[in-house]
Amino acid sequence: MDSIYNVYKPFRMVMFFNVLAFTLMFLHEDKKDFITLAWGIGIILLIFGVYVLIKWRHWGDEYLFLISSMLVSIGLMMIYRLDPDIGKRQIVWFAGGASLFLLSYLIFNLMPMWNSKKLYYIYPAASFLLFTLTLAYGRRIGGAINWLSIAGINIQPLEVIKLLFIFFTASYYKHRESLKALSLKIKGNDFRIKSIYIYGVLSYIHMGFLVLQREWGGALLFFLIYFTLLYIFESNLKFMLANVFFAGAGSLGGILFLSHIQTRIDIWLNPWADISGKGYQITQSLFAIGSGGFFGTGIGLGSPELIPEVHTDFIFSAICEEMGIFGGTGVILLYLLLVYRGIKISLKINDIFYKALALGISIMIGFQTFIIIGGVVKMIPLTGITLPFISYGGSSLISSFIALGILQAISSGKSIQMEETHEGE
Amino acid sequence: MKENKKALRVLAAVCVLFLSLIGYLTYFEVFLKESVVANPYNKRHWEYTNDKLRGSIYDRDGELLAYSEGKGAQQVRIYPYEGLYSHVIGYYSIIYGNSFLESAYQKELSGNTPLGNVTDIKNKLTGQDSYGYNLQLTIDHTLQKKAYELLKGRNGAIVAINPSTGEILAMADNPVFDTNESDLVENWSSLLESDDSPFLSRSIQGLYAPGSTYKIITAAAAIENGYEDYSFEDKGSVIIDGMTIKNFGSKSYGFLDISKAFALSSNTYFASLGVSLGERALKASAENFGLNKKLPFEISVTQSTFPYKNMSQTELAAAAIGQGQILATPLQMGMVASTIANGGIMMEPHLVKRITDINKNTLYSSSAKAFQTAISPETAEKISAMMVDAVESGTGKNAKISGISTAGKTGTAQNEKSGTDGGSEHAWFVGFAPADEPEIAVAVILEYDGSTGGSSAAPIAKSLMEFWLK
Repeated sequence: MDSIYNVYKPFRMVMFFNVLAFTLMFLHEDKKDFITLAWGIGIILLIFGVYVLIKWRHWGDEYLFLISSMLVSIGLMMIYRLDPDIGKRQIVWFAGGASLFLLSYLIFNLMPMWNSKKLYYIYPAASFLLFTLTLAYGRRIGGAINWLSIAGINIQPLEVIKLLFIFFTASYYKHRESLKALSLKIKGNDFRIKSIYIYGVLSYIHMGFLVLQREWGGALLFFLIYFTLLYIFESNLKFMLANVFFAGAGSLGGILFLSHIQTRIDIWLNPWADISGKGYQITQSLFAIGSGGFFGTGIGLGSPELIPEVHTDFIFSAICEEMGIFGGTGVILLYLLLVYRGIKISLKINDIFYKALALGISIMIGFQTFIIIGGVVKMIPLTGITLPFISYGGSSLISSFIALGILQAISSGKSIQMEETHEGE
Repeated sequence: MKENKKALRVLAAVCVLFLSLIGYLTYFEVFLKESVVANPYNKRHWEYTNDKLRGSIYDRDGELLAYSEGKGAQQVRIYPYEGLYSHVIGYYSIIYGNSFLESAYQKELSGNTPLGNVTDIKNKLTGQDSYGYNLQLTIDHTLQKKAYELLKGRNGAIVAINPSTGEILAMADNPVFDTNESDLVENWSSLLESDDSPFLSRSIQGLYAPGSTYKIITAAAAIENGYEDYSFEDKGSVIIDGMTIKNFGSKSYGFLDISKAFALSSNTYFASLGVSLGERALKASAENFGLNKKLPFEISVTQSTFPYKNMSQTELAAAAIGQGQILATPLQMGMVASTIANGGIMMEPHLVKRITDINKNTLYSSSAKAFQTAISPETAEKISAMMVDAVESGTGKNAKISGISTAGKTGTAQNEKSGTDGGSEHAWFVGFAPADEPEIAVAVILEYDGSTGGSSAAPIAKSLMEFWLK
């Protein structure tokens, strides 16, 4: 246990940050509420427990959880400062997320059937089912239909579908050689549709559903994951160029013919024209970032509550207001570290399924972060999407931790060993 | 392995994306932030304000002129002297915004300065209330009250300045309006519709023809350009390029030198002097006294103007006697008198003497700063003597203070409302006292009063200076 205190400084920093954060929250409250300190101690114990478990049992990469805990801690402090009740709920979600992180680690390692060829069509089928259910029964919140109520609990199916999509993609690259081409007989002519086209079409159907839901950010994210993995694993240059052309034509069509996308772009180019209407969110976000300056107003001293949806999509603006551009840069660098760790893990793996899975999860976190942060700082058009690990919300936090659990399992190498012995038997 | 190589390229691409985010944030912070944050839709301006108890405003002797009561967003601004400072301190209202010093010192009064935010953190941690900073003005409350009373409900303005420091001692206007929020709410629409322009701060935003008070500047131009010995036979009127210029009441004074012409305020003398001096000398002199220039002042002053180019003879003649297109604020003319009193050096006028925090620690203290040198000390001394003569034996007799030598110049300025037979001229008086060691300079204007400056404005200036000196 000594080594934990003496050697691993990043761990101490996460602990120290939480001690400071919750002491500050406690002092910041008008009515000194010891419950706040209790919640803080709870978080510290939770991170401590999970970290020690990873270290003690040699469960693979020890930094993945630390980096994400730091991100969660920053987000938690911000959310708690904005509204202690929501903050407490987020702490509960974090506890759930951490448990699911461990659980998905165990399940993934103990049940190595995820790369089974049989599941190749099951993944997209499950996704499409969820998409259909969302479109049929979903609730429209803030322009997009992306919430599903199941037994009184609101979930965002997209968060699950993201993972299903990455599994589907990884599964494709694993089995593409043995996947049969589809044979069609039309007017006596035989058409053979290669497996890569089937995979491509199925992927675009995912994006098509997202466009129907007006989840532009989600559609962009799926395309980036799809295309990046295509770039890494596919050597067919013609097919890639066809994809670029197809995506280019699709987005051009969207810009020309979909008024919702045009509106987004207009707001991006000049949010000041309709400052009290459509440009309200983004201008409020810019006010917040600008008011913070390089070092921020200090936690609890800014006014991030003026930004609509500050808990979820705009949490980064709140961080910039109160912790400054430097704080924001720190957060961006933490994500960069996480992506770096993820890609590093993938480099060591030979098995295509696990390699693609690790890469897919890493770049999903990276691109999602870029899309939302770029949006709230007005570098790119704003599309509503959550900031992984930081934004408030159970669906987002839990799916991020499940993804991280899978990455953790891959980093431990245990599933891959089992896989090999399994096949060897 | 081929895939690994490509994966590393992807990692490099993600790095570029993330670094571009950081780059854009920095760019935003350095280049775009300022204009973004200043946008009126940024509600933080009000948020910061509500956080702390707004600072109080005191006169130079510590008399409380404005303060806030209550907490947070519930605080109310109280002006114990109602409208007396409506054009100096202005108002601070959640509904109508803020004006004058309340607006110019918004940051300090609300405590939203870099230092203020640091102490604020300390106070938050220790559970103490936070306060904005207090302002101490250069205004003397008793003099301000006296000035307001002297206006007796007539529309006009009085400015009193300490000539050697530029401190504004009083800046009173009429009409005024009660700046307490409840009264603002009650009277806002009638104030907006009123023909008397109650929102206008006549002292600093009112532009008036300076009339004969402008002869101070013309005389300075003459002395500095070698026309000190200019003499002229005054026949009561003179025709310049087809335009007749008359003395007040068409009186004729015979042969005049500059000193006599100044004391008697001969229009014919100064009109022909102006023609002889020419455009360059007149304009240079005007600008040396601060016309056509932005005056440094805490609250924004309308620029006084000498707007001519390629002047005709009639324009030269009219300008020399402060008519035509020359327009000046009462503050500007007060500063002209103040400059003569201060040996030709125009001091920067200012209203705020000190900024202090709640514990009386001084954060800022004003100092006397020269704005520009208008004329040489010798010229200033000569004009000062001429102004003493004007009060002793000329048009300014009503400004004479017994036992104290007083300098001054009257003016009765024609304007857009005055017809051929007169009736609504502006009555002006500018001057200072004691003449040998000036402690106060004043400018008085009664707008569209129809009386002469000597009969109505001079006695007001006298009472005010006497009140200050005794």
